[in-house]
Amino acid sequence: MNQYLYDGTPEGLVSAIASILDSGENPEEAHLAVRQDMLFEEGLFLRTDSAFAEALFERLRQRAPDAVQTLWYFMMAEADGLETSLLRYIALAFEHGDRVNGYLTHTSVKAIVGTARKAGRELHRMKGLMRFEQLRDGAWLARMEPDCNVMHPLARHFSRRLRAQEWFIFDARRRSAAHWDGHDLSFGTLEQFSRPELSLEERAVQQLWQTFFKTIAIPERKNPRLQQSNMPAKYWKYLTEKQGE
Amino acid sequence: MELQEKITILSGAARYDASCASSGSNREGSAGGTGNTSQGGICHSWADDGRCISLLKILLSNDCRYDCAYCVNRSSSPVPRASFTAREVVDLTMEFYRRNYIEGLFLSSAVNVSPDHTMEAMVRVAEILRNEERFGGYIHLKIIPGSSPELVRRAGLAADRISVNIELPSSESLQRLAPQKKKEAILAPMKLIGAEAGASLVERRKSRKAPRFAPAGQSTQMIIGASPETDLQILRLSQGLYSRMNLKRVYYSAFVPVNSDNRLPVLSAPPLLREHRLYQADWLLRFYGFSAEEILSDDAPNLDESFDPKTAWALRHPEFFPVEVNRASYATLLRVPGIGVTSARRIIAARRFAPVTPEGMKKIGVVMKRAKYFITCSGRPFERVDHQPARLRQRLLLGDGSEAKLPRQLVLPGMG
Ligand code: SF4
Repeated sequence: MNQYLYDGTPEGLVSAIASILDSGENPEEAHLAVRQDMLFEEGLFLRTDSAFAEALFERLRQRAPDAVQTLWYFMMAEADGLETSLLRYIALAFEHGDRVNGYLTHTSVKAIVGTARKAGRELHRMKGLMRFEQLRDGAWLARMEPDCNVMHPLARHFSRRLRAQEWFIFDARRRSAAHWDGHDLSFGTLEQFSRPELSLEERAVQQLWQTFFKTIAIPERKNPRLQQSNMPAKYWKYLTEKQGE
Repeated sequence: MELQEKITILSGAARYDASCASSGSNREGSAGGTGNTSQGGICHSWADDGRCISLLKILLSNDCRYDCAYCVNRSSSPVPRASFTAREVVDLTMEFYRRNYIEGLFLSSAVNVSPDHTMEAMVRVAEILRNEERFGGYIHLKIIPGSSPELVRRAGLAADRISVNIELPSSESLQRLAPQKKKEAILAPMKLIGAEAGASLVERRKSRKAPRFAPAGQSTQMIIGASPETDLQILRLSQGLYSRMNLKRVYYSAFVPVNSDNRLPVLSAPPLLREHRLYQADWLLRFYGFSAEEILSDDAPNLDESFDPKTAWALRHPEFFPVEVNRASYATLLRVPGIGVTSARRIIAARRFAPVTPEGMKKIGVVMKRAKYFITCSGRPFERVDHQPARLRQRLLLGDGSEAKLPRQLVLPGMG
C-alpha cells in the first residue's frame, strides 16, 4: 500500500487523484488521506494544482458524464475519510465509463454512490422543506441548516420556481447565502446575521398554513413515528407548521 | 365565516381523498410568472398521520345535494357546511406557494347546486390561477360526474391532472349506494379525457405550441369493502382502466362506515389489509408485467391475507423457480419475491462487471430473507430448500421471510 496525502480542500482532493492516476500507480494499491501535520506522518504529500484538477474533470466529463454528476453530489456531502474510495471510483469510471455507477457490488463504488445519493436525497428534501417568510420590505427569506452543502443547486431550483419575487436563502451552519433579485442569482457569505422583521400579514398566512396542516391529518391515524422518519426532527427548527407545538 | 374556519371544514372534508401525488408533469413556468412543476413530485411536509403533504388539498364546498350512502358530506348528514369563493382559493394557493408550503392545488368539491354549477366554479379557480396569476405550479381538478363536456375540456386545459372517481367497482353497487350518480356520467368524462389527452399529444408532436391537456394524466379512486365485489373483479376493472382508458393511477380506499345505513355492510374495522394487498397487486399490474388473471382466478378470487400477491404467485408456481440471478432476464428477476424494480435493474447493471454473489445481492438491496428461497447465485442455492409449496409456505410464514409491518394508510370515501 502506498500512502499519499493532500491538503484537505476539495480541489486538492481532485488534484491529488489526478496525480496518482497519472503516475501509473495501481489505485487498488494506493491510499489517500488528508495531511494532519503530525511528526511521524508517513506518505507522499501531493501539492494542489488547480490546472491538474481542472484537466481531470474535463477528461472525466468526456468519458463518464454521470460519474461527474456523482462526484459533484459526493462533494456536496462533505464526507470525511472516503478519499481512497473516491480515487478507486474515479479510476473505475475511466475504465468502464458511466456504467461504473452500476458496479454497486464494488465496495468503493458503493461508498461513493451511496454518499452521493445521501446528498441527492437531502437536496430533494430541502426543495420541499424550505420555508420562505415575507419581510417588511417585501423580500423573502428562507433559513436552513442542512447536513450537506446543497445551497447552489437549491438556489437554482428556486430561481426557476419563485422567479417573480426577490428572495434570500441563508445556510446558518455554513453562514453562506444566496440572493435572487428577480433576474440574477448571486452567492456569498454572511458573518453577521440577524433575522429581519416580518411583514404585517406574514403571521396571518402562517396561521392559515398551521390550521391546514393540523386538519389534513386523519385523527384516528396519528402516527408520529412515521412522520418523524419521513421528516426528521433536525429539520423542524425552521418549519412553520412545527412552531409552537 | 372566517377563513380559518372554512379551511378547517373544507380541508377536514378533503383529507380522506387518497391521491396526493404531484408527479408526472413537467411545466417550465413562464418568465415573470410564479411556479413550475417537478417530474418526480416533491413532498413539502408530512402530516401527523405520516402522510406526505404536497398539495393544498381542499374542497371548494361540502354543501352537497346528493346523498351517497358512504359519504360524510351526504345531504342528510348533520355536518357544518362551508363554501369558498374562487378568489379565496386562488389567494390561498398563491400565498402558500410563494412560501414554498406546497407544489400546487388539489381541488375537489361536493355537488353544490348542480354538477355544472360546481364544475364551472372549480374551473374558474384554475383559469384565474393560470391566466391572471400566471401560476405555473401543479393543479389537480376532480371532475364532478355529470358536468358538461365543455367544462371537462376547460378543466383539462388548465390542470395538470384531472380525475373522475369511479367510486364503486360495479354499476349495480353504484345504483344501490349512490343512486344519483350514473355510470355513464362517470365513464363519459373519462373517455373524453382519454381522447382529448391523446389528441393533444398528437398535436404537440406537430407543434410545441399546441395546448397541453392534463399532461400528468388522469387517475381515479374506488371504495373497497362497501359493496360485495371480489378482488378479481376489482383488479380486472383496474386492468381495463389502465389498458383501455389509459389511466395513470387507480387509488383504492378502504371503506370506513361514517353513516349508519342499512344498505352498507357492518364492519368492525376498515379493510386496511385488503386495501394494502390491492395496492400491491396494482403494482404488479403496472410495473411487473402481471395480468389480473395471473394474480387471481375464479376459484380463488380474493387476495391472500398472509402473503403479498407476488409471493402468493411464486408459491403457486414452484416450476418457475429457482431463478439463476446471473442469467435471468429482467422480466424473470421481477417475478422473484424480494426483488423489486430497482434491485432487478441493479442486478443487471452489476453482473456486467462480475457475477453477483450473495454478499453483492445484499449490497444491491435485495430482501434476502424472502428472495433466498427462490434463487441461485451462479448455480449455488442459498439454502437447502425444500420446494414443496406447503413447507415453503410455512417457512415464509413462521420464519424470517414474512414482510415487515408496513405503515398503512387509512383512506375514507372521497368526494365529488
Ligand atoms: S360522494 Fe360526493 S356527491 Fe356523493 S354525497 Fe359525498 S360529496 Fe356528495
